[in-house]
Amino acid sequence: MSRSIAIVFPQWMQQHGQLGEEHAFTQFEHVVRALTDVSPLVEVESIGTVLIAARGPSRYFGGDVAVAQHLHEVCAGVASDSPFGVGVAGSRFTATAAAHLAQSRGTPCVIEERINAQFVDAIPSSSLAHIGGISDDTVSLLQRLGLRLCGDVRAVGEAALIDRFGIEGKRVYALVSGGEVRHFAPGTPPSDFTRAIEFESPLTSSAHVAAMSRDVVHDLVNAVSGYGQQCVRILITCETDHAESVSRIWGEPHGFGVAALSQRLMYQLDGWLADANAIADAPTSGIVRVQFEPLECREVLSVQPLLWGGSQENIERAARAVNMAMAVGDGVQVMVPRWEGGRDVAAVYSRVPLSLVDIADMRDAEQRVQIGAGVARDWSGSIPRPSPASVASTPPVIQVLDAQGNDVSVSGRHELTTTPAVICVNGRDYHVLRVAGPWPVEERWWDTRRKRRHARMQVLVRYPRGGTGVFLVGLEHHTWSLLARYD
Amino acid sequence: MPAMGQALFPELTHRKLVGVETGADFAQRHAERVAGGVGPLVVTEALQPLFAGAGFERGHIYAIAGEAPLSLLFALAARATTEGSWLALVNLQRAGLLSAHEHGVALQRTVCVDCESRELSAVMGALVDGFDLVAVSSPTCSVGEARRITARAKSQGSVLLVVGNPGAFEVDATLRASTVSWQFDTYASARTVTVEARGRRVYGNRSCTVQLPAATGAVAGVST
Repeated sequence: MSRSIAIVFPQWMQQHGQLGEEHAFTQFEHVVRALTDVSPLVEVESIGTVLIAARGPSRYFGGDVAVAQHLHEVCAGVASDSPFGVGVAGSRFTATAAAHLAQSRGTPCVIEERINAQFVDAIPSSSLAHIGGISDDTVSLLQRLGLRLCGDVRAVGEAALIDRFGIEGKRVYALVSGGEVRHFAPGTPPSDFTRAIEFESPLTSSAHVAAMSRDVVHDLVNAVSGYGQQCVRILITCETDHAESVSRIWGEPHGFGVAALSQRLMYQLDGWLADANAIADAPTSGIVRVQFEPLECREVLSVQPLLWGGSQENIERAARAVNMAMAVGDGVQVMVPRWEGGRDVAAVYSRVPLSLVDIADMRDAEQRVQIGAGVARDWSGSIPRPSPASVASTPPVIQVLDAQGNDVSVSGRHELTTTPAVICVNGRDYHVLRVAGPWPVEERWWDTRRKRRHARMQVLVRYPRGGTGVFLVGLEHHTWSLLARYD
Repeated sequence: MPAMGQALFPELTHRKLVGVETGADFAQRHAERVAGGVGPLVVTEALQPLFAGAGFERGHIYAIAGEAPLSLLFALAARATTEGSWLALVNLQRAGLLSAHEHGVALQRTVCVDCESRELSAVMGALVDGFDLVAVSSPTCSVGEARRITARAKSQGSVLLVVGNPGAFEVDATLRASTVSWQFDTYASARTVTVEARGRRVYGNRSCTVQLPAATGAVAGVST
């Protein structure tokens, strides 16, 4: 058991995630950089959660309370607009729980050694899923069995939990008894899986380093999976020609793949190299060495959807073909769909570049396209099904006119000012037969910079050459555009 | 009499006619082909009247034309993708992925590829090697490139779907949809279309009338 400090920003992803995960990570990097002044080795568990081993900083600052207070001030200095909490407790799980408690109280929460056991017992068992990395199914079963608090779960006993849940049961018991799934202590001796790469000439761009390290990362992931395991925590160390180095521990509860590891390496280097002028310990030379050291591995989860879903051979064929296609030239972009949600028919599924995902990981792919992570939500103001099959990426501007040739608009009460009769697209007139809507949307009206107000309507039109079709048109800033066609 | 017939034509009674395949034999051979992964790429039941088999013949090129090209593409590709085949959408930036999802396309096995026209033939050549279904919008390939891509698709058993102008590609069958009517009460809820298959590999007049899309967003047969 090792005392840990947790710093959580529960709403970071909501506040900074609109521009994508990458943006949120980059923004969070500033906070992480500030925390490395307190302790050089920090662990980024996920966006918004940072863990630090308590022993070193606590001795340096003169006690847990002092270091927690100091971290609280540091966080308030760099990210005052986002709610945060600092917690210190006997294990990583309890420290994170304490940090969430601290966030709601607004002051640091330090759980002393003697009351640690009582504190663990009082944590709700639902936290095991949120912050403990235990699967939702297991936690929901525990709750349905009436085990609402971690103390209740502990009372069941380790043997019974392992009997019912296997390895996961062992992990549950370790967490609820205030222990670690594995010890978190900086300076663990390097394992057989450690891989390093040295560059002959110093590299100054993070993308370059990530590309050059790809073979090593591939080798590492293969070596770990050769043991039937997957890496969930890894220490990445980068060194420059002038013997400066930066180390960071990264966590990934679903296990690191090649793409995820390269991504984390990029984030780590971006924060270090990009802000070279702004930060005191900025590197004075390019990167010459990168080392990957897995700290925690676990058995590959027994869930294998491939047994029921697609065939492995098809996946490998497709992955090979995609790599061949990308090698054709720089102009080739390969993207995969990802569910985003919302009312905008063009943005419900976004297309993410293949470099950010692992195409062969079908479990990840299924999660990526799953609607609302399994919970389908009907947004108010969304267009009813069926959805348009042809969506314009840059909607062309059109004119919507009534029978007298006047422009049609939508009033403040979301009503059409006159009846549309003709739609003019690129000089072609379409005769309007029926109109549905308008469906008004007011997004983020509380935010002066990002608020958006627009209205959509469906129109049944007669083509100039005969036949009928349905368009989805939108009005924003007094301009109509052809958003989509029901092709 | 049977004794005499047996004496004259022993092969008839043993049902072992050399060079002739009975219906039962054909059904068995067909089932073996399907089970071995070389059979047609099955499409949804409502659209099966368009094909001689139960779906796309592997190695063939299909053009998708008419008034509902993308809906028809999604409806045709849906069943194969849920059964493990991969779908590549080349230069189809306008494809509505939400509509594809409603049609039942397995998006976890869908990849979108965008490229410039000078890279198109190389990209398509690479993709037909690994994807069972490659859909492309109005390809601009030379006759020679188109022939090479066709040969690769044949050897790999992939199906090429051309939306819009097929250009230099020699199309085996054209699937053309024409709108019969829109059901537009409070909003556009369903469309009835007639889909026709024509081409050098299509015998007779194959057509069917379906709802594309129906109120669920997927394709549905029309009860007559």
